[in-house]
Amino acid sequence: MSETTRRVVITGLGVIAPNGNTREAFWQACIQGHSGIRRITRFDASALPVKIAGEVHDFSPMQHGLTPDEVQTLTRPTQFALAAANQALHDATLDTNFCTEERERTGVYVGTAMSFVEEGERLWTHFTNYGRYDNEEVNDALQICITPATLMPDAAAVSIAAHHRFYGPCATIATGCSAGADAIGEAFWLIQEGQADRMLAGGTDAAICPIGLNAFSVIGALSTSYNDRPKEASRPYDQKRDGFIMAEGAAMLLLEERELALARGAHIYAEVLGFASNSNAYHMTSLPEHGEPLQQLLKQALTECALSPADVDYINSHGSSTQPNERAETAAYKAVFGERAYAIPISATKSMIGHTQGAASAIEAVVTALVLDQQLIPPTLNQEYPDPLCDLDYVPNVARSHPVRIALSHSSGFGGVNSVLVFAQTGEHDEQAK
Amino acid sequence: MSKQNKRVVITGLGVIAPNGTGSTAYWHAISNGITGIRPLPAEHEAFPGGVAGTVEPFYQEQTLDRKLIHRSDRMTHLVLTALHEALTDSRLQLSKENPHRIGVVIANTMGGIGFVLRQLQALYTKGPHFVSAYTAIAWLNVANVGQAAIHYAIQGYCKTPINDTAGGLHALCMATQAIKREVADVILAGGCEAFLHPLLLRIFAQRQICVSGNDPRAYRPFDRRAAGLILAEGAGICILEEYEHACRRGAPIYGEIIGIGQTNSADGLTIPSPDGRQYARALQQAADRLQSDELAYISLDGRALPALDQGEVEALTLTFGADAASIPVSVPRTMIGHSYAAAGAIDAITACLALRHRQIPPTVHCEEPGYPLNMVRERARPLDRGTAVLLGARGTGGSNIALLLKRCDEQSGEYT
Repeated sequence: MSETTRRVVITGLGVIAPNGNTREAFWQACIQGHSGIRRITRFDASALPVKIAGEVHDFSPMQHGLTPDEVQTLTRPTQFALAAANQALHDATLDTNFCTEERERTGVYVGTAMSFVEEGERLWTHFTNYGRYDNEEVNDALQICITPATLMPDAAAVSIAAHHRFYGPCATIATGCSAGADAIGEAFWLIQEGQADRMLAGGTDAAICPIGLNAFSVIGALSTSYNDRPKEASRPYDQKRDGFIMAEGAAMLLLEERELALARGAHIYAEVLGFASNSNAYHMTSLPEHGEPLQQLLKQALTECALSPADVDYINSHGSSTQPNERAETAAYKAVFGERAYAIPISATKSMIGHTQGAASAIEAVVTALVLDQQLIPPTLNQEYPDPLCDLDYVPNVARSHPVRIALSHSSGFGGVNSVLVFAQTGEHDEQAK
Repeated sequence: MSKQNKRVVITGLGVIAPNGTGSTAYWHAISNGITGIRPLPAEHEAFPGGVAGTVEPFYQEQTLDRKLIHRSDRMTHLVLTALHEALTDSRLQLSKENPHRIGVVIANTMGGIGFVLRQLQALYTKGPHFVSAYTAIAWLNVANVGQAAIHYAIQGYCKTPINDTAGGLHALCMATQAIKREVADVILAGGCEAFLHPLLLRIFAQRQICVSGNDPRAYRPFDRRAAGLILAEGAGICILEEYEHACRRGAPIYGEIIGIGQTNSADGLTIPSPDGRQYARALQQAADRLQSDELAYISLDGRALPALDQGEVEALTLTFGADAASIPVSVPRTMIGHSYAAAGAIDAITACLALRHRQIPPTVHCEEPGYPLNMVRERARPLDRGTAVLLGARGTGGSNIALLLKRCDEQSGEYT
């Protein structure tokens, strides 16, 4: 190990999202404010109060480099993650020719909250004949649909590692909506501390199925007023929001030790400066009004990265289209950034794609990296009726060119885990690190 | 590495295992070869006459709030009970600590499966309005750390790793790294699993992970007749603490975590690889700078399938050369079955207790050993060499985790 801390940069991005199945398509949709939220097609939702979701459309796994065997055996969230990982490696021009030593120094961390849900429900309905427990033939059908891959909640990380034969650290983190950011943060630490040189890290989820939606609709967490206007349903910070929109997707980032990336002349989207995470210790699904845990978290992240509040140029917020969340968030920003809170552009990616659960914070990390790379900020959609308690600059409805050197992406998870990633524009921060 | 100088010690243990609740009862059972594998209750229609490591009634309403019991799954009941025991054991008074410097890292694989299966039944036979409002809260893997954080007002680093059968040991590794990098001073770390349901058992049997007969002695790693695991439920929690922090409060110290290793065999979605090379690399990372005569014993993964047992022996040979045949090895887990994400944490608890009581618990039911190993079989053996225990775990898909635990010489507590 060298004396100085190893630095970590982002050199590849891959996304499967409701509004775009590649980095380019997704980014263009975000900039143009294209929502991916539509009527549910994955199952018959007529008995539910919720009829809309952010579904991934036109996903052809073979186009993303999955083998016929992988297409046949892997579940939807695992296919999403593998497709995103393949994109990220290709984007980083690293999709071939690793030597064994490099493979041993490359790992995979994936965040997920609900990746076994849809498959679990399918198996249960087979096993019990939809709860009737009366059909021997159905039981026999279960035998056929069980493969060696059946019910493995860590299948995504494992499948990516196997596809590319990466022998470095491999794990899954299941911290609810912060899972993707947590996987990226842990991967960042592993490279920084020398346990790996490259890590594919991100998140995936696809649980648009009866039990997946019911678990949240039964507590009134999902939007129900916009079933006939799905694109208007996700409206973080807007007075007329009424809950989040369930969505599916995946994002994977290639993190790389900076010297390695520079030596091979890789395009660097952004540098990862820091990661911090804490817990609300408050309630499984809600937040204290003033967002004290988020305040504490943001301060901790700034301290660890040796930044002051004045250094932050952009925030990609959790913004889930849920009133208590966004009021707590806004209060926390004001407490941490003071007057400057009003001058920092803040955007909520969930306004366009809904809440992709464990993938959300990874997709938002991709957006944040692209903001730094392109110096362009995607909007928060559906800003029509301002909430007086949410009065910051949420980049309403239209993308904006803006100089961004330091950006934050934070998420507040179900179960109380909050995490924040701090990214910097390439070339910035070189003096400070020395 | 700037922030890697901190030392991490274990100062409290909490265990809920099929053969004992609480570390005293557990140690009595595990050191005397008493097993907790028993016939499954009659409602397991998928497994008529099957066996598993089931936990006997374990909680009292003094430690678990009645409301919480109904709003959470059995996995959470198990882990909250283990947390209570571990915290009591460590004499840590959380109210005197900075809550931002305390963390919880609890591995779990299958989530609150019992809770959600009841909700599926309600949804499909009665309708959406009959689904419990607590479904998501009780069911997702994150429920355990979420409830633990609320229960103990813990506001620091909280994580939920999933790493198949290696999850519990990985949780201890993550917590160790977090303390070393100064993210936290104390982390309540371990794993829990409560998945002994007909659907799961059936799937695992079909995937050839577990045996499907009714022989309570059928989990026989490194035996010529090895044919798979017996599954179990349980929870194990270790209080991991920064060494100086533990010393300042005069904490009892079971041991120090002096090495960790993490690699992947890139097997895909199959049972762990018979190829021991990447597993050997994890063991080497953890046991780096250790002489093999410093090892008291190695706590093996012991998947009890011939190819995998062969692969583990190969990994030991790659790591320790000719010494691989002489270092004592054991799989005390044969007495309780494999509790997936809880298993690695319970293995570490076994190792802490073995170092304290200077006895190596045995591998039971390995009557026809098929490999040249110095296996502690049938009855416990005095721990008469070395001061360190190396623990290994492999997960389906290829995850390899290793952890090296050493008796702490500079004891601050009552044990020397």
